[in-house]
Amino acid sequence: MLKIKNMDAYYGESRMIPSLNMEVEKGKIVCLIGRNGVGKSTTLKSIMGLVKTPSGSITLDGEELMRMPTYNRVKQGIGYVPQGRDIFPQMTVYENLMLGIYASGRKGGLPPYIYELFPILEKFEKRRGGDLSGGQQQQLAIARALVTEPKILILDEPTEGIQPSVIRDIGNVIRRINQELGLTVLIVEQYLEFVLGISDYLYLMEKGEIMLQGETHLLDAQEVQDKMTH
Amino acid sequence: MAQFINTAFNALSLSSIILLTSLGLAITFGLMRVINMSHGEFLMIGAYMTYVVQEIFVKFFPESIFSLYYFVALIAAFGVTFILGAVMEKFVISRLYGREIDSLLATWGISIILQQAARTIFGMQGVNVQVPAVLNGGITIGKCTFSYNRLFILMLVVFCMVLVWYIMYRSNFGKQMRAVMQNRAMAQCMGINSRKVDMITFAFGSGLAGLAGCSVALLGSIDSTVGQSYIVNSFIAVVLGGVGRLAGTVFGSGIIGFSSIGIENYTSASIAKAVVLLIIIIVLQFRPQGLFTMKSRSLDE
Repeated sequence: MLKIKNMDAYYGESRMIPSLNMEVEKGKIVCLIGRNGVGKSTTLKSIMGLVKTPSGSITLDGEELMRMPTYNRVKQGIGYVPQGRDIFPQMTVYENLMLGIYASGRKGGLPPYIYELFPILEKFEKRRGGDLSGGQQQQLAIARALVTEPKILILDEPTEGIQPSVIRDIGNVIRRINQELGLTVLIVEQYLEFVLGISDYLYLMEKGEIMLQGETHLLDAQEVQDKMTH
Repeated sequence: MAQFINTAFNALSLSSIILLTSLGLAITFGLMRVINMSHGEFLMIGAYMTYVVQEIFVKFFPESIFSLYYFVALIAAFGVTFILGAVMEKFVISRLYGREIDSLLATWGISIILQQAARTIFGMQGVNVQVPAVLNGGITIGKCTFSYNRLFILMLVVFCMVLVWYIMYRSNFGKQMRAVMQNRAMAQCMGINSRKVDMITFAFGSGLAGLAGCSVALLGSIDSTVGQSYIVNSFIAVVLGGVGRLAGTVFGSGIIGFSSIGIENYTSASIAKAVVLLIIIIVLQFRPQGLFTMKSRSLDE
């Protein structure tokens, strides 16, 4: 579904990722793991068009995204949940959610499954995004991405700085999004336990290169753990 | 007492004029952080548009509807400066985002070009517009006189404020606009076409300058430097109030207006100017972010 071929990605003037190849299969939950600063987030930003990618190709259902500005990539069907959430702090929860609808020019309100997946957001509809807790902001960020009606949802460290019980909730929601809404999911993570519990396929990145990949249940958890921590 | 009310009205009137000329700047400079040195020239264009529409009415329309020219001019001034703003954003400003010094120089150049163009087209001499009959005269209550054209400008300011507030905080476009200004990358990730939003926002700010130009045309003769004489106060009002805050611009304009007129009453115009600038320097020493700053943890970006 999402294919990255021989892509170079730059952060400023330095090349973070040399010639990356990756593939996310339709209907799967795929995780990209690795230690801090190996280029995981940069990979996601490349997919969104937020960093310079002078060469290579990124395709979604065969459609080339490389030359598209970020907002058109979103229209092609990529939903993005960034690291640190990036909620619009001055806007209410409702306004944050509706942005995706305004941007698409669609009429009407929020799809009903949004509040069904995240009941807390309905309760806090009128609060300002900046006043929510970290876990609530994370839910808002995921919900907001769903409003753009993506085919694939990509999440950057969804468990970062969130308490364990909420991490479990978020894991469940991601699974429901995958199974009930039929969305393909790509997650960047460092929290191995979470990744092993949720993913169908796994990529391990080191210094901008994929060191290990495979279906999660076929991989040796100990080996992955060693590669993450050595 | 009458003296006091007159002074207060003059101060209010000056504040409203400063506010009207600052509103556009509050958007392009305050919100978008574009230092547009030619903002004053958009005001000038708005003023000249008033003159042009007046001449068209004199030539082609019966005298009975002459008074209507001014209301047509308001729309024309807004429309023309809106389109010019959009063109300028597309071809100049959009290439210079994040390069303040470059955009300062480029827009200064445009400012000089526009002033020279005005001199070439309309001549060195100032031109005058005729205040439409409905705005002639004023209401006299006791010993105080409130002139209609100043009252009209006051109303126009209120109208523009409501318009800006509605567009920014109530319309769907405004929400996208605020999202882009708060966090450009994330707004794009919501599918918002930030280039279009930038262009329309800049054009809207420029259009407000044109509208302000149309109203200052009522107050005096129009020449190529009319923009320059207003732009300094506008920049001060926006900075004093706190860049990025509409309410701040309202108070910034009020402070400049009231203190100018108040001090002028007891001393002279030039002393008043100096004292006002002194007040501003002192205020900015203690509150470098301006009077109104966003105070909340939500800004810990």
